[in-house]
Amino acid sequence: MSGVLTADAVIVGAGVLGAAAAHHLARAGHRVVILERGAPGREGSGTTAGNLHIQAVHSQRPGQEVPLDNARFLPLQRAASERWETLEEELGASVELRRSGGFTVAETPGQHAELVEKHAWETGAGIPTEVLDGDAARAALPQLGPTVIAATWCALDGYANPLKVTPAYLSSAARSGARTHPYSPVRRIDRHREGWRVTAGRDGGLVVDTPVVVDTAGPWLGRVAAMAGAALRMSPVAIQMHSTVRLPPILPHLVQHIGEGLSVKQVAAGNLLIGGGWPARTLDLEGRSLPSLASLHGNVRLAARVLPFLADLRLLRMWAGPLAATPDEMPLIGEVPGLPGFLVAGGTYAFTFAPLWGETLRCLAESKPPPVDIADLGPGRLMDHADHQADHQEERNTQC
Amino acid sequence: MTADHWNEPSGAPETVTRDVLIVGGGPAGLSAAERLAAAGLTVTLVDEQPELGGQYYRRPAPAVAERWGDHRPEGGALVERVRAAGAECRTRHTVWGVDDDGRTLLAVDGEGRPVRLRGRYLIIATGAYERVLPFPGWQLPGVATPGFAQHLAASEHTPIGERVLVAGSGPFLLPVACSLVDLGVTVVGVAEAGTPYRPRPAALGALRHPARLRELAGYVTRLARARVPIWQGHSVVRAEGTDRVSSVTVAAVGDPAAARTFLVDALCVGYGFRPQTDLARMLGCDVRTDAVTGDATPVTDPRGRTSRPGVYVIGEAAGIGGAPTARARGLLAAFDILIREGRPPARRDLLRAGAALRGLARFTELTGRLFPSPARLTSSLVPPLPGDTMICRCEAVTAREIRAVAGEAEVPAPVDVNAVKARTRAGMGPCQGRECGVAVAALVRSVAGRTTDANVFPARTPIRPIPLRALLATETTPETTPKTTPGASPDALGPATPQEERP
Repeated sequence: MSGVLTADAVIVGAGVLGAAAAHHLARAGHRVVILERGAPGREGSGTTAGNLHIQAVHSQRPGQEVPLDNARFLPLQRAASERWETLEEELGASVELRRSGGFTVAETPGQHAELVEKHAWETGAGIPTEVLDGDAARAALPQLGPTVIAATWCALDGYANPLKVTPAYLSSAARSGARTHPYSPVRRIDRHREGWRVTAGRDGGLVVDTPVVVDTAGPWLGRVAAMAGAALRMSPVAIQMHSTVRLPPILPHLVQHIGEGLSVKQVAAGNLLIGGGWPARTLDLEGRSLPSLASLHGNVRLAARVLPFLADLRLLRMWAGPLAATPDEMPLIGEVPGLPGFLVAGGTYAFTFAPLWGETLRCLAESKPPPVDIADLGPGRLMDHADHQADHQEERNTQC
Repeated sequence: MTADHWNEPSGAPETVTRDVLIVGGGPAGLSAAERLAAAGLTVTLVDEQPELGGQYYRRPAPAVAERWGDHRPEGGALVERVRAAGAECRTRHTVWGVDDDGRTLLAVDGEGRPVRLRGRYLIIATGAYERVLPFPGWQLPGVATPGFAQHLAASEHTPIGERVLVAGSGPFLLPVACSLVDLGVTVVGVAEAGTPYRPRPAALGALRHPARLRELAGYVTRLARARVPIWQGHSVVRAEGTDRVSSVTVAAVGDPAAARTFLVDALCVGYGFRPQTDLARMLGCDVRTDAVTGDATPVTDPRGRTSRPGVYVIGEAAGIGGAPTARARGLLAAFDILIREGRPPARRDLLRAGAALRGLARFTELTGRLFPSPARLTSSLVPPLPGDTMICRCEAVTAREIRAVAGEAEVPAPVDVNAVKARTRAGMGPCQGRECGVAVAALVRSVAGRTTDANVFPARTPIRPIPLRALLATETTPETTPKTTPGASPDALGPATPQEERP
């Protein structure tokens, strides 16, 4: 073996979370090595819509089994929102950040009631939103169609170009000495002295000893954790996005739906992106996940109902991307119980939460308190009881 | 969900189900359709253009035909035979994708209405794209491909300019120059990047193809008579102009110092053709990189069978060989289907078609030896391009931007074309990278030394931008009565897993 590297932290997965963690760790003076199985930022982080979801989001994407706990997210969204505001300055790069606000629309009385309810939560969490009736919403955004009966407006919603964010984080990390190894899949993760020995590369020739491993491997998060000995119940999925041809500026705001899977916005290049978490045809962790024509139809039909002008545009392309979802649809962040120094991060709204989770991972690596409460978001909840003797015992005691 | 579907389509989309579905009405698709329909199978042939014939048998506009005649009357005769044999011909149909079942093709007709197309056998005869390579000024109006000039000449009897320079490489340049001369255009010269017309041993094989030699000699004689010089071993260095191209500079390949500039009002540059494989790739047909051309090419056998059962790729889409080869491939695919359907053709027909294809393959191989390989041309012409050369015209991405990303030191080089696409937007425009993909890959290779992925942008749905309105009317598909041979299962193909080329 040709020399073993040492690092203060090894990050597995150069997606947006890994890149954000690398930025925060390297800037704090840690020696960081990033291992990426393919090209940095290609998978979920390069295929996502790039929405900054600050107001409470639609709680169930198409095909999703468990609804999100929207209220639990709001303090996290509030904290992430603040960090996005200063991100371009922090990274010294444009990420096409745009905070021009967004609407979440309702088409039924039930959905209208949901908007009113979430508005109350948002107010409580310090996220300013406003409930508008259909006509007021159309006055504010004339492109909204006649089926919209109400909408919430949040000035903090926005967009950043996912194809710029991850590279900007990685460049910043590199300036602080972090080293990215693309096309270097991790082969083994072994306990080594007090820390970990990570073996990577196509021929396994890249070996790094480190006290801290950060698993931000997206849809592969569970596989990487398994190498370290942790069985996490993950449920990765692939969802898809659709892009129209370019248009002069026409839609300044993000448009989402409270009851169905929909997000529409116009990006800096002029294309309109239509998404909303519709399931792809395949999730292929070895190759390229394929989009579904059924989801294309469903998503476009919904989009053209809420924003009828879309019907006159042409579809340019569609693509699918994998996500590291959890069975309970909540974010995942924390140290794996029983595996000191092995941190994981991923799951729902990873893009919106990236600046927050990057900072949180640095705190965890330094054994400092995180900036937000993540006690209920750790990996313990996704582990079998067999791996979790203490919990198991406790549960039995309660039963008795 | 109770919101009323006010933009619901008025009727269900049309579903066409046949024994054989053929995409592409050029020489290959027409030849297959004629035989299959004549043998009694239900056949539908779809084509994007308003008239059948493809690029080679392009039909002149009626007024042009009346006044100037048809440059290739055998094409019109073939189309007539196809119709007479009972094949359903649908023009102005754009096939844009493959449904989730992996075998139903999705199309829009000329009025933007959705059409779903199913066949127990699918024949992909989508033809070729012209091979274009970027150079400074190639985005100027007045710069076109030889194929476009030929199209204007044949179907509209319209010259592309008054003073035209023809450049690139391949046997197609001479007939295009001749067509322009026939229209009264001043062709200032033909710049051929290779040296195919110099006597040398490799050319001796041409003696076995006297008809082709006579054709070539005819072109050379006509150009000489019109005093059109042919510069071998020369390529376009740059085109200049303000509103449109006004001058073009030509130099010896590898020696830009000895450059000459010509005043023109149009410039035709093309490096031959490359297979149009998007649909074959979406259907999951295996592809490989052709060593000579560098193109991703479907893996086919001489009958046109692919890795997908019941899916055939024929004609230029299966590898560039010219119209006679395309017709032979069409026949062989038709014969193979007829054998599988228990209606074998006469043994003599089979033998003759097989022999024709082998003879044509020898000729194609000879042509390949005379002209520089497209892979080599690409790797010699693209890497030296100046930094401000526009590589992706759709998204206005320059060579400098692509080199910067491919050679970036901070973040180790994303040495694959798809990573460069993500970072620069090269290949994200309406052409989906079909125009610039080859050049982007060549630049990445020249900077990074290698590429880790397939050198091709993936085939993305839709193949052509399609109106969202057409999608709104597609959704569910009640089956219409299948028009197929009794007893035949319309589901013979089974599902596909579309493949991207892997190195």
